[in-house]
Amino acid sequence: MNLNIEVNGKTIQAKSGETVLTALRRAAIQVPTLCYMEDLLPTGACRMCVVEVEGQRNLIPSCAYPVADGMKIKTHSPRVIRARKTVVELLLANHPDDCLYCVRNRNCELQKLAESLGVRERRYTGEKSEHKIDSSSPSIVRDPAKCILCGRCVRVCEEVQGVSAIDFTKRGSKTVVGPAFNEGLNVSSCINCGQCVMVCPTGALREQSYLKEVINALKDPNKYVVVQHAPAVSVTLAEEFGLKPGTDVCGTMTAALRSLGFKRVFDTSFTADLTIMEEASELVHRIKNGGKLPMFTSCSPGWVKFVEEFYPDMLEHVSSCKSPQQMMGAIIKSYFAQKEGIEPGKIFSVSIMPCTAKKFECQRPEMLDNGIPDVDAVLTTRELARILRMRGIELGALAPEGADTPFGERSTAGKLFGATGGVMEAALRTAHFMITGQEMDSMKIQALRGLGGTKISHVKVGPLELGVAVVSGLLNARKLLDDIRAGRKDIHFIEVMTCPGGCIAGGGQPLGTNLDAVRSRMQALYKIDREEPVRTSHTNKWIERLYKEFLGEPLGHKSHELLHTHYAKREAVI
Amino acid sequence: MTNDNKTILLVDDDIDFITAQKLQLERAGFKVIMAESQKKAEETLMTMRPDLAIVDLMLEYKDSGFALCHHIKKKDPTIPVILVTGVTSDTGLEFDAATQEERSWVKANAMLIKPVRFEQLLWEIEQLLQ
Repeated sequence: MNLNIEVNGKTIQAKSGETVLTALRRAAIQVPTLCYMEDLLPTGACRMCVVEVEGQRNLIPSCAYPVADGMKIKTHSPRVIRARKTVVELLLANHPDDCLYCVRNRNCELQKLAESLGVRERRYTGEKSEHKIDSSSPSIVRDPAKCILCGRCVRVCEEVQGVSAIDFTKRGSKTVVGPAFNEGLNVSSCINCGQCVMVCPTGALREQSYLKEVINALKDPNKYVVVQHAPAVSVTLAEEFGLKPGTDVCGTMTAALRSLGFKRVFDTSFTADLTIMEEASELVHRIKNGGKLPMFTSCSPGWVKFVEEFYPDMLEHVSSCKSPQQMMGAIIKSYFAQKEGIEPGKIFSVSIMPCTAKKFECQRPEMLDNGIPDVDAVLTTRELARILRMRGIELGALAPEGADTPFGERSTAGKLFGATGGVMEAALRTAHFMITGQEMDSMKIQALRGLGGTKISHVKVGPLELGVAVVSGLLNARKLLDDIRAGRKDIHFIEVMTCPGGCIAGGGQPLGTNLDAVRSRMQALYKIDREEPVRTSHTNKWIERLYKEFLGEPLGHKSHELLHTHYAKREAVI
Repeated sequence: MTNDNKTILLVDDDIDFITAQKLQLERAGFKVIMAESQKKAEETLMTMRPDLAIVDLMLEYKDSGFALCHHIKKKDPTIPVILVTGVTSDTGLEFDAATQEERSWVKANAMLIKPVRFEQLLWEIEQLLQ
C-alpha cells in the first residue's frame, strides 16, 4: 500500500511496512549512515541516520523506524545535524587520529562524516584505545583501536557468510570486536574472505599487504619476477582510477604491470581454462564411475576452508582441482621455467587477485612443490592500484599490450570465472562436449547468470539431465549443504563462490563500491564472452598445446602432480 | 620432501606452545629439540647443529630472541632461523623479515606473527629446508 509522507516540506511516496530510510533513499534524499547494511535487518546502533519526526519527542533512527501515513520528517534540521555531529565527535574522542598514516585515508566513512559535518575541534577527549594490532593472519589485519563498533563486520561474517569468526566481546566502553578469547584471526574460524574489510567504514580491518615483498623482489637482480592477474581484476581496476565501472583495462593493465618491472604478465583466465579441462573431466569421471556427487567447485579458497572447518564430512565432494591461481603458479614454475631455462627457485611469482583469501591459499603447505611455493605473493586489486599510483603510472596514458605466451590466449569461458555462475557455465560447455562430442546449442545459460545468491537449474547434457546449482555467499552454501546432508539428491554439480556475486565483489576489490558497480563488472565479463570467438576451454588451442607438450591429458599423471591437491578436516578451535 | 633426520631446535618460554608444536613437527617427521630459554638454547647449540631453528623473540629478556638469532648465525650462517613473535602487536614496534635488508639485521630468514598455525610454520620450514 502506498503512503504519503512529508519530508522537508515536500510530499513523497512511501510503501507500507518499509523504513523511513528506505523511503528517503528512493526519493534520493541523502541521510548518512554507519551501521546500516542494505538487505540486512537494521540494528539502529549508531544513530547516525536520525531524523526529526513531528510529534515525536526524540529523534528517531530512520533505518529502524517504519513509515506512517502523513508522517512529517525533517532530515537536516539544526537539531538533527547537531545530533549527528555529536555522534561523530564522540566516535572521534578515542580514535587514534593517525589519518595521514592510515590505509583508509581519504576513503574513510568516519573521516568523510567528520568533514561533511564540519567537525573542526575536539570537544570530547576520551581515553585512547590501547588495543593491539592483530597482524597474525596472512589475509587480514585487525586494528581494534580504529573500530567504531558499528558491527557491520560482525553481521557480514554471520549473516552473509555464515561463519561468525568475530563478534562483540566485553561490555560498555571496553567493548571490542574480535575473535573469541581475544585470540588472533589466524587461529580463528575466519575464512579470510575479506568481506569484513569491504564493509568496514574505517581502517579497523584491512588486507595484509605484501607490497613490500613484491617491491623488494622487483629490485632483486637475482629474481625473475612474473605476475598473473585474475579474470575479475581487469574489469575492476579502472574504478580505482576514476573510470566508469565495468571498463575492461586488460591491455593497459598488462602494459602497466610491465612498466612496474614484471618480466612476464600472464592471464589467470588461461589457467581458468585449464581448471575447466580438469574439473569437467573430474565431473565426467565421477558421473561415469559412480564417484561422489554432487561435486563442488574448489577455486574459491574461502569456501574450501569453510568446508574443511564446518563440513569436513563433505570434503570428498569437493573437486581436487587447484584454483586457477595455483594452477598458473604451478605451470609457471614447471613448464614455463623448463621452457625458458630458468631455475624454478629463482622465479618470484606474484598474483593480482580480487581476493584476500588467495593470500592464505598460496601459503597452504599443499601448494609447495619440493619446498618451492607455486605462488610467492598475492596482491589485491587495491594493492595493485596503490603500487601503480606510487610509481606514477597512469592507466590512461599507456597503450594496451597483450599477455605473455606461452599462456597468451584464454577463452571467454575462462574469463567468466570472475562472476558467480561463470565457472559453472564454462564447465558445462566443456562437460557437454566431453559427454556428447558436440557443442551446446546455446553457450549462454541464462538461469545461471545474474547476482542471485542461489541459482538452481537442470541442464540437458546428451542423455543426462544434470542438476546444477550456483551459490555465492557462504550462508547460501550452508543452506544448500544442509539440504544435501538431509538427503537432497537432484543436484550433481555445484559452484560455490565465497563472496556474494563472485570474485567481482571479492574482498580485495575497491572499497566503497556499490551493487551497480558490481553489476557493471559482471556485464563487462558477459560482453567479453559475447563478442570474442573462442568461448570454450576445450577449443582453446593454447590449452591443447599445453597438454600436448607438457601435461599429457586431463587427470593424467602430470596433471595430478601439478594441478590437483587434497583437503583435510580443520579444527576451528574458535 | 622427506623430513627424516632433520633436526629442529625449538626455543620458546611458552611450554604449551612448544609442546604442541613439537608433537606436530614430530608427526611431520622431524626430530625436535626444545629449549625454554636463550641460555638453554645456547647450551644445546654447543653440542649440536640443528638443521633449522625456531626462535621466540621474548625469552628471559625482551630481546633474547634477537641475541640468540645473532649467535646462531654467527656459529653457522647456513642454519635457517624462523623468528616467531607477538612483539609487534604487543609493543607497536614494526619490524619484519620480508626483505634481504631486514633479514640481515634481524638475523632470521623468516618471521611469523603469533598466534601461528602449524601449517604456516610447516610452509616456512619446507621452503627453508629446500
